[in-house]
Amino acid sequence: MINLIKLELKKIFKKRSFLILTIIFIMYAILTNVIYKTISFNEMTEEIDIAELKEINKSLDLNNSEDKETYIINLTNIEVYELKNKEKDNTAKFLIDNYLWDLIYAKNENLYGLKEENKEHDINLEITNVLNKINDNDWEYFTKQELQELKNKFDGADLKNKEKLEELIKLEEYRLDNKLGYDNDNYLCEAINTLKRDIVEYYNLVNKNSLTKNEEERLLDLKETREINKYILDNKVDINNSNSLRAVLKNFPNEFGLFILIYIVMISGTIVSEEFNKGTIKFLLTKPYKRSKILTAKLLTVLLLIPLIIIIMSLLEVIVGGLILGFDTLNVPILLYNNGLDTLIVRNIFVHLVFILLGNLPIYVVLGIICFMLSTITVSSSAAITITFLFYLVSNVISNLVLMYKIKFLNLFISLHWDFTYLMTYENNPFDFSVLLSLIVIGLYISVILGVTYIYFNKKDVKNV
Amino acid sequence: MSILKVENLCKKIGKKDILKDVSFEVVAGDIMAFIGPNGAGKTTTIKCVLGLQKITRGKVFINGYDISKNFVKAIEKVGSIVESPDVYMYMSGYDNLLLQARMYKNIKEEDIYKIIKLVGLENRIYDKVNKYSLGMRQRLGIAIALINNPKLLILDEPTNGLDPEGIKELRELLVELAKSGMGILISSHNLSELESFCNKVCILSHGELLEENTIAKIKEIDENKYIIKVSNLKKILKFLNSCDRVIDDNYVEVIRDEKDIAKFIKELVNNNIDIFEVKKEELSLEEAFIRRAGGKKID
Repeated sequence: MINLIKLELKKIFKKRSFLILTIIFIMYAILTNVIYKTISFNEMTEEIDIAELKEINKSLDLNNSEDKETYIINLTNIEVYELKNKEKDNTAKFLIDNYLWDLIYAKNENLYGLKEENKEHDINLEITNVLNKINDNDWEYFTKQELQELKNKFDGADLKNKEKLEELIKLEEYRLDNKLGYDNDNYLCEAINTLKRDIVEYYNLVNKNSLTKNEEERLLDLKETREINKYILDNKVDINNSNSLRAVLKNFPNEFGLFILIYIVMISGTIVSEEFNKGTIKFLLTKPYKRSKILTAKLLTVLLLIPLIIIIMSLLEVIVGGLILGFDTLNVPILLYNNGLDTLIVRNIFVHLVFILLGNLPIYVVLGIICFMLSTITVSSSAAITITFLFYLVSNVISNLVLMYKIKFLNLFISLHWDFTYLMTYENNPFDFSVLLSLIVIGLYISVILGVTYIYFNKKDVKNV
Repeated sequence: MSILKVENLCKKIGKKDILKDVSFEVVAGDIMAFIGPNGAGKTTTIKCVLGLQKITRGKVFINGYDISKNFVKAIEKVGSIVESPDVYMYMSGYDNLLLQARMYKNIKEEDIYKIIKLVGLENRIYDKVNKYSLGMRQRLGIAIALINNPKLLILDEPTNGLDPEGIKELRELLVELAKSGMGILISSHNLSELESFCNKVCILSHGELLEENTIAKIKEIDENKYIIKVSNLKKILKFLNSCDRVIDDNYVEVIRDEKDIAKFIKELVNNNIDIFEVKKEELSLEEAFIRRAGGKKID
């Protein structure tokens, strides 16, 4: 049997189409990595339409109190926006948003309200002071100020709040120690911001006695985000950098899944039918082997090549991607949160790649076997390949339909069971099926498909040309 | 020793009977010519013998093993080319040969080289097969068929694409192989190519076996073909048999044995027909078969 498989492999690797597809894959990989290198994944900054605000303000009646309120807010927004526009530095922009907005609002409120001169003077002084600090790039002034406030609160706080305040103090101290400023593009700042954003909600839920189901889920989400961001701060790893080889590898099945499928279908769709089409089957079937043995050798060849191709593709991608994006991000781990065990899983990127590819493997195996069957029965490579691809597309549609409308009678459809990625990333099965059920369903499909294939192949006449 | 025995072989495809009770036997040292026009069922018979098509009824024994029950044992010592020598065109001749050899046990590299030399491909064996002519592929096919040192060799139209020199070489090779005890079944739609070196003939028409006999037996038929030049063609017509034919204004062709031709000429003379010329030609095996099959044309 091993001998037969070796011979099958030799036939495949000697084919030029195999080489051509590999060259196309390398070109595709180059393109994908270049896109990753150049594309900017940054969130869109919210744009305020100044002209529109000005227009609205013109139409407002300042004697109406509601209109006046809107007018003041709009005016403040316009002024803050114009101030921010002058600055290039992210820290400055952040500080203007967070420390000047209130002051400018107060100034405007006074201007269009009581018009107290003393107050106006004080506010203007304060604004100038803040602006000077911002222009001097003295962000530490604001951090220290906030830190002082937090420490004051801490002294007077009860036990419940002390934990929360202590955490906030640590975050600001971290900012100072690492001289981070308030640059949102800096991943450490982003982590601090995320932690600060969630902290109130988190402690509220933690300290609550009984939680509803929604609240429980929300708490799990918050825990996950907190653990991941804490890890980022502790280990200084930039896990969200999208312009990296690590990001490409993390998305490997999405970026290259179609290519994996093309390879598999190309092999399993031709391995039997081509022997018939080219007439070589006559030499093959007059050798001292039972037909089922010859078919088994071909099937095992396909099954062996699926992981082999995926490994070769991954290695090629690591080389190509490394040359384009650099290899340095490969030591940045993948962070996953295991809800069941309540722990953070830190995984090497390669280990993670193996895990998610394993999760996807049943898809490729099942499609490969379907294509193998079609190739044997129709004796037409093009029919086998086309039908397999159509089946794959239809399967995706069916999965989505079931996900949306909970169609019960489709529960045993193969595509609802063949993706095990959720297991590898500690998520829940999107369809709420157990692993055992999925394995049984896959086993049944494969048995039926292979049964039909073997019976057909054993009885098949080699037709006269 | 019986190498191939076919007993009442029947093959149905759909409702159509492709083969009807075909029986014949090849013993060691035989070169059997398997003759029949296109569509007679030669290739189907060969495919049934080789297990490439399932047998509807009847039995095939190779080296004593039933092909339906003990396929692996039966096929082990068989070499064959069916229809055309279809090999992997994108590989070299050597790779193809090696690939086929690896499917048997214990074939050494030197055996492979011996066979390459035997079929005369040593200069081109490392070229890709898609650069070969049909004749060279035919040689490669024969090499593949011989790679396992078979006891039964089945060749389906092996002379296709071979030049006269190649046919001569093939003939010599087959005679040599038969001498060493191999049984050979060789099919063709043209008997004249094979009659010089085959010792047995099997004729198939419309899925039925017309004749299985030795060449020597067939040659015993003492009928000959006579071309006669006469003066009056109209007068002669009533004396002709169904197999005889008019060639042109003055010539007729008649098939008679020696006793009958004398009678025939006497009759013509008695009827005042002038005879200018009588020429004797030997009957080909094929024509002899037509006669034996009661004048039924085999195609």
